[in-house]
Amino acid sequence: MTGPAPGPSAGSGRPGRIVIGTLGLDQHEVGAMAISRILIRHGYEVIYLGRFNTPERLTAAAEQEDADLVGVSIHSWEYAAYADELLARCRELGIGLVLGGSVLTERDQADLLGRGADAVFGPYASEATMLRQIDAAVRRVRAGDPPAQAAPAQAAPAQAGQPSGTQPGRPVPLAGRTVIVTGAARGLGRAYTVELCRQGAAVVADDIDEAALKEVADAARDLPGSVHAVVCDVTGPDAPRTLLDAALRRYGQLHGLVSNAGLLRSGPILQLDDGDLRLLLDVHVTAPFRLLRAAGRYWRAEAKAGRAVEAAVVLTTSAAGLYGFRAEAAYSAAKAGVAMLTRVGADELCRYGATVNAVAPVARTRLTEWLGEAPTGPRDDPLAAEHVAPVIAWLLGPAARTVTGRVLEAGNGQISAPSTWQAGPQFPLPSLMSPEAADVLLPRVLASAAPPPEVLSSQS
Amino acid sequence: MTTDEAASSAAGIPLRPFYGPGEADRDYAELGDPGAYPYTRGRMGSPAARRRGWIHRELSGEGSPRRSNEQLRALLAGGALGIDVIGDNPTMSALDPDHPMCIPAVGTTGVSLCRKQDFVELVEGIPLDEITLSHSLPPAFALAGQYLASPCHGIDPRVLRGSAIQPPLYSEDCSYSTFLPFETRMRLTLDSIVFALREMPRFHAFLEDTYYISDGGLDAVEEMSLGLLEIREVCRRLLARGLPVDSFAPRIAILVNCRMDLFEEIAKIRATRRMFARMMREEFGATDPRSWSVNIAVHTSGLTLTAAQPANNIVRGAVQALAMAMAGVQGLEISAFDEPFRTPSAIAHQTAIRTQQVIQTETNITAVEDPLGGSWYLESLTDELERRIDAAVRQMEALGDVGTLVESGYFRNIFLHGMDRHSRAVQSGELRIVGVNEHVIAPEDDRFLRDIAEQRFEPDYAQVESIRAWRPTRGGGPLQAGLERVRDASADPDADLMGPIVAALDADATIGEITGCLREGLGLPGDPFEFAARRQPPGIRT
Repeated sequence: MTGPAPGPSAGSGRPGRIVIGTLGLDQHEVGAMAISRILIRHGYEVIYLGRFNTPERLTAAAEQEDADLVGVSIHSWEYAAYADELLARCRELGIGLVLGGSVLTERDQADLLGRGADAVFGPYASEATMLRQIDAAVRRVRAGDPPAQAAPAQAAPAQAGQPSGTQPGRPVPLAGRTVIVTGAARGLGRAYTVELCRQGAAVVADDIDEAALKEVADAARDLPGSVHAVVCDVTGPDAPRTLLDAALRRYGQLHGLVSNAGLLRSGPILQLDDGDLRLLLDVHVTAPFRLLRAAGRYWRAEAKAGRAVEAAVVLTTSAAGLYGFRAEAAYSAAKAGVAMLTRVGADELCRYGATVNAVAPVARTRLTEWLGEAPTGPRDDPLAAEHVAPVIAWLLGPAARTVTGRVLEAGNGQISAPSTWQAGPQFPLPSLMSPEAADVLLPRVLASAAPPPEVLSSQS
Repeated sequence: MTTDEAASSAAGIPLRPFYGPGEADRDYAELGDPGAYPYTRGRMGSPAARRRGWIHRELSGEGSPRRSNEQLRALLAGGALGIDVIGDNPTMSALDPDHPMCIPAVGTTGVSLCRKQDFVELVEGIPLDEITLSHSLPPAFALAGQYLASPCHGIDPRVLRGSAIQPPLYSEDCSYSTFLPFETRMRLTLDSIVFALREMPRFHAFLEDTYYISDGGLDAVEEMSLGLLEIREVCRRLLARGLPVDSFAPRIAILVNCRMDLFEEIAKIRATRRMFARMMREEFGATDPRSWSVNIAVHTSGLTLTAAQPANNIVRGAVQALAMAMAGVQGLEISAFDEPFRTPSAIAHQTAIRTQQVIQTETNITAVEDPLGGSWYLESLTDELERRIDAAVRQMEALGDVGTLVESGYFRNIFLHGMDRHSRAVQSGELRIVGVNEHVIAPEDDRFLRDIAEQRFEPDYAQVESIRAWRPTRGGGPLQAGLERVRDASADPDADLMGPIVAALDADATIGEITGCLREGLGLPGDPFEFAARRQPPGIRT
């Protein structure tokens, strides 16, 4: 147990104040009582409304009592009917919202968090976890009070739940930022994770390889940032919720997402079977799409609640997706999909303060075994993943706030910003063109535009 | 557990490393044979007296009355020997499903019942003359509803067996609030018992339910002392009305909880039988042996079940049920493995019934009454629990008028304290729970049975719509007259409430309307949720 907590009052002059009750006809008060007692023991002021509340009753009481948070204990599915209204009212009034209860599955928890709840607890959440998150929520709510404090989010580096302090002498532009990195155990993901930690970020590191993930966490131990390892398969439908939930539980906020997990199934079109095709599309297209959707919903909720964060997404495409790679049609198509997801994602998420970019790394990884063995250390190896990592970090950082919808190709000693498909010179399309007319026109059209670059191959 | 650490029972009774003859030197006459006063060892003299064993049943009720009826039939087809039906949150609070505050809760945690027709549909095709039907519903309406519904299916109410929970002291503080003052709740209890003694004489119209009051975190001593306190209060008031004790005492039954300290739970049941027998014979002067031997059913604790690793709950239910079979209970319901998530799914129901059947059929433990009797440990624990429960009852009765204690929040504090104590014990790890504070596994590995447990269903909006559509079709005259009688009876402290309630329900008044009139008769607002009466019914996100 943590002992007497500093409580949420530190630095703000008065104890945290929370209105607690149940909703509708949900009469089970076990949870509401338990959390009330816990909070009272830790210096909170609890206004206990008991049972039979509606969202307007809870929020009206919170407003009248100048409470920081509304806390709802949930033992009945009824809550689902009230959640939207409650979230909206809390947002409107600038009041935080914490929910907890035995019937909340992990999925419900992630859903409520994604829709803007400040903290959500399932059955048997530990007292320490609940206190830490409720403390953090109070601080966030107070930091969001417009006039009193300047530059609220950045001004308090030592707040609970934020990554630990900085290392003198070295810039840590990502301090205070929480970033999810998928496929973090090896290769590029590992290099990204370590670099982000070096620059001060808190990384929620995801991979399916638990042992390798642990090594990454160990490698980042002495760096300014921190690593929270989550073993999770990105192709699972619940993966985005699991990762978002992990980020919010651990760090209270999410600022960035690096979708890096990938794999290779090679083969000409005529040979690649359905299983490999599905796997390639699942890992490279469906998984990043879902991650982007979950993170985007969370940022939208934050923005609507007046807590917009400076969010950034970096997706992973590939030269194969930009130019094509011989005998990798499925992989190339999947990576081309990522490139376009970047374009449209950027257009859609900019209104919530999120940028979406992609990197096409050129590096020596398990996917590029044909590049051969590495020489010695990364300094001598232009193909080392470590050289790509600073590009990722920059895209996540404060200097890249206006960069969105772009692709950067980086590695092997070079970096460039490839351009996307461009419209070619325009020709009139005859109405109901005859085969003879087509024979004349189409070669002219094709000749007028630059031919696409050659498909790449391992020999080129 | 290390040997130098002082062991104790869940209720805090210090335990010795082992027990011998010195710790249980009670005269055997004070124990008595099974089936003989004071019934420590069981209500029945021999296993032959209960050929089919205890009544196997499971808590049921889900959605509309018709949907619940299908559930009841499925349970009986699967071998259940009785039925325990619980209302959804609106029904438990005596509110109608079409109230805006109720709509999100219709049918999700029990059956939605608000009118005579609902009761008729609920029990259609159920052999009420062969099985017992236990109601976990507001008792006056449960009894009135069943009384009115049975003849519609050709069954004489006089043959009905089953039970109705009477919760006048604690319901407002333990999740079953009906927004009625204590004296009115007590009148409903007394009037409905008297009504059932006359009209449904084989029915246990006074079921003392210590399950729902204790499953927030009370220990066994608190549970039974509060239960006996309520029994004593209701009995005194029935006696004060001039009823002979032997006219109602045989119709009392107790539904108790069973947590995980199994010997303590067995001892609790044995102590309760003995205390009840003594109380009835020596204190209230009952002379009919049926008044002395109380019928005890058990519901295994939902609080002991965990959302983590739901399969472990099947094991918990099985060991609890085994203990209860050895305690010689008359009825048993196992909290199903998905209890932390929902009211039981069909497969959870089946697993729970099968658990009971395996214990009953395959273990041979039912061949002999009170198989644990004479265990030095168990007899010592039984004696100690009896002492502690008795002391707690006396202490509370010394505080004065029970109604005053109810209204002043004395009992509410006990419940809140119990909840707090339980949550602290779990948080600190003092209460060791496998899968919760020990042997925890990561959520992503904890998938077994989750898909079943986490399944949700929507509130029964169709039932809401059908009640809305039905309201204007009712004939006005008898309905309004019936409600007026309820209002008048409520205002007159000496009037019988049950007659007007039965008549109003028969005239198509709803439970919500009748309860509203009970409140209005007392000068209270008819709708306890006036503040929400004009809410737009919220939609459910799926």
